[in-house]
Amino acid sequence: MNKIYDAIVIGAGVIGAPIAYELAKKGYKTLSVDKRADAGEGSTAGSCAIVRAHYSTEDGVAFAYEGFKYWLDWENYLDHVVDEKGLAKYMNTGSILIKSQGHKWQDVKNHYDAVGVTYEEWDNDQVLKHVPVLDLHEFWPVRRPEDPTFFDEPNKMLEGALFCPEGGYVNDPTLSAHNIMRAAEAKGATFMFNAEVTEIRSADGKVKGVTLADGAQIDAPVLVNCAGPHSYIINQMAEGVWEGCNIKTKALRHEVMYCPAPEEYDYYNNGYHQSDGDIACYVRPETGNMFLIGSEDPDCDPQEWVDPDEFYAGKGGHGRDNQLTEEQWKAQCYRLGRRVPTLQVPNQPKGVVDLYDCSDDWIPVYDKSDLGGFYMAVGTSGNQYKNAPVVGAMMADLIDACEKGLDHDKEPFQFTMKYTGRTLNVGFFSRKREINYNSSFSVNG
Amino acid sequence: MKIYVCVKHVPDSAATITVKGKTEIEEGITFLMNPYDEHAVTEASRLKKIFPESEIIVVCFSKPEAEGTLRSALAMGADRGILVASGHRHDPIMTAIVLKKAISQDGQPDLILTGRESIDSEGMQTMFRLAHLFKIPAATNVVQIETRDNDVLVSCEKEAGAREMLKLGMPCVLAAGKGLNNPRYPTFPDIVKARKKEIKIIDFEKLDIPKPESRLELVCLEPALEKRTPKEITGTTTSIAEQIVSILKDEARVI
Repeated sequence: MNKIYDAIVIGAGVIGAPIAYELAKKGYKTLSVDKRADAGEGSTAGSCAIVRAHYSTEDGVAFAYEGFKYWLDWENYLDHVVDEKGLAKYMNTGSILIKSQGHKWQDVKNHYDAVGVTYEEWDNDQVLKHVPVLDLHEFWPVRRPEDPTFFDEPNKMLEGALFCPEGGYVNDPTLSAHNIMRAAEAKGATFMFNAEVTEIRSADGKVKGVTLADGAQIDAPVLVNCAGPHSYIINQMAEGVWEGCNIKTKALRHEVMYCPAPEEYDYYNNGYHQSDGDIACYVRPETGNMFLIGSEDPDCDPQEWVDPDEFYAGKGGHGRDNQLTEEQWKAQCYRLGRRVPTLQVPNQPKGVVDLYDCSDDWIPVYDKSDLGGFYMAVGTSGNQYKNAPVVGAMMADLIDACEKGLDHDKEPFQFTMKYTGRTLNVGFFSRKREINYNSSFSVNG
Repeated sequence: MKIYVCVKHVPDSAATITVKGKTEIEEGITFLMNPYDEHAVTEASRLKKIFPESEIIVVCFSKPEAEGTLRSALAMGADRGILVASGHRHDPIMTAIVLKKAISQDGQPDLILTGRESIDSEGMQTMFRLAHLFKIPAATNVVQIETRDNDVLVSCEKEAGAREMLKLGMPCVLAAGKGLNNPRYPTFPDIVKARKKEIKIIDFEKLDIPKPESRLELVCLEPALEKRTPKEITGTTTSIAEQIVSILKDEARVI
């Protein structure tokens, strides 16, 4: 006799864990399965865990702003659960968006106004007052150090920044997923690790359950794909699901660097999160007074779409495996080195290489599927970490409504955000949508 | 003062090393300046601040790709570089002969700095061989250098906690240990300046060096599997702290 649950959530990362949590709160008997050894150990572990509001669409801004409220109120969100590993900490550094040709910052400003995001407009002097180590010349367009023009002298200045006092990062993304797991368990959710899904069983257009690598079969009428970079593999296992998606997902390799802050500059305690489209870098403080340097994926940089299993096994060779490359180390550190001329760049690359679960338009798919009972929270493409608790609430509401008979494809579910009070048309995240050309097509979302 | 710094182009210690064939490794990984040599370059740069008339010349005997490592040294404060390029790997005997020739052709050294070892072959002999060829004194694992009129006073770390003070006539070869300094890494403006600095490339074949009478040959490379045996430390906070101190003192001998 197979074990039976109300819902099986595939993936116990920062997206899967809150969905299990919210479903459990609704009374669903859930089982989360993950091929890793513990919660948040997949691509969640490699997340920069940035919490910021600037997105290219108004709904994106609203969604992220809603997310803040959860991070600010973390213990309450977890219903004061005790995690033996301690609680992840949200570090509210404030968030600077440099006004540049690399971002449609005017649109972001309009979205801030529409959503009611608190922000200030800073001129260059105000930016320097807060971040004295910056050189505010314009370096646009973004180039690579292999290109001799990378070293050209700049002659124009930037035009200030938008500053959100609410914004920052979570200090330990793995721990945050673990915290949510403990909160979910307190509501009756079950988590199973070292459990790899090898088959999605279905019959008569309805999902039946999963088969694991060890042959075990577990049944449930609801399945949720939160497999991160493996999401496309899971979708392909489920009858008709992959074919029924107009927007597909795949795994994109991504490097993030750690570079020591300039001497005499206490970036860890006094620094801000900063998004800088002019050099296609975003930065935030990291333990050890480091700059964590992420890339905004400029067109000139290579994009490597990889097989996640090969990648995590260290296969694929230079630039495709899970090791930092010297070229990208130089690209990201030198770009930031132009903005922060006193930044010391060590010879040895240090950082993290992980995968994005990336959709065709870099906007996630939060949706049902063409297979009854099969849902997906996929394509979270490096910019949904901050939204994860809201995604949990939204997906649980969506699943519950669909299971009670809603035809979400015909009448898209309307999700009410509990803090901002805004209503979000979940059809925005539909798998059937056309590519959203308002998207930044980057990590900016 | 003419300061020559010998640097080696080595695989990144964080890279996954894969053995290819019997004596080669997969080279599609990051190569960079040997970390001990970073201390040597940093020290040369510090000495130049004291003696501004000094010139720092970095010398490397390696594959042509090592130009990147020389460029790093130039960004860290060296004035110019010399690369003796060869398509093959050579033993420490040949390396010392080549470095001696490259330095002698270039000028009269007052000081030759190296790292105390390279992290790839860990031979720890090139600096002594080089000193022998020049017939000058050498000291290794140097953690402090004080230059005087015609000699240098150096502190060398022997084993954990023990230091030896040596006086060496100049010129001499000093091999930098980790405790010598904190490497000063380049800023972007340093990197820009380094792009314009001169690197002289010498073809090893054209040096026409006769084969030494004897040589050291790498027969086989085998991947080492590291065995770790974690040990749980239990007890009260005080007792845990005491146990850690005793391990660091008696077992690891680092304090």
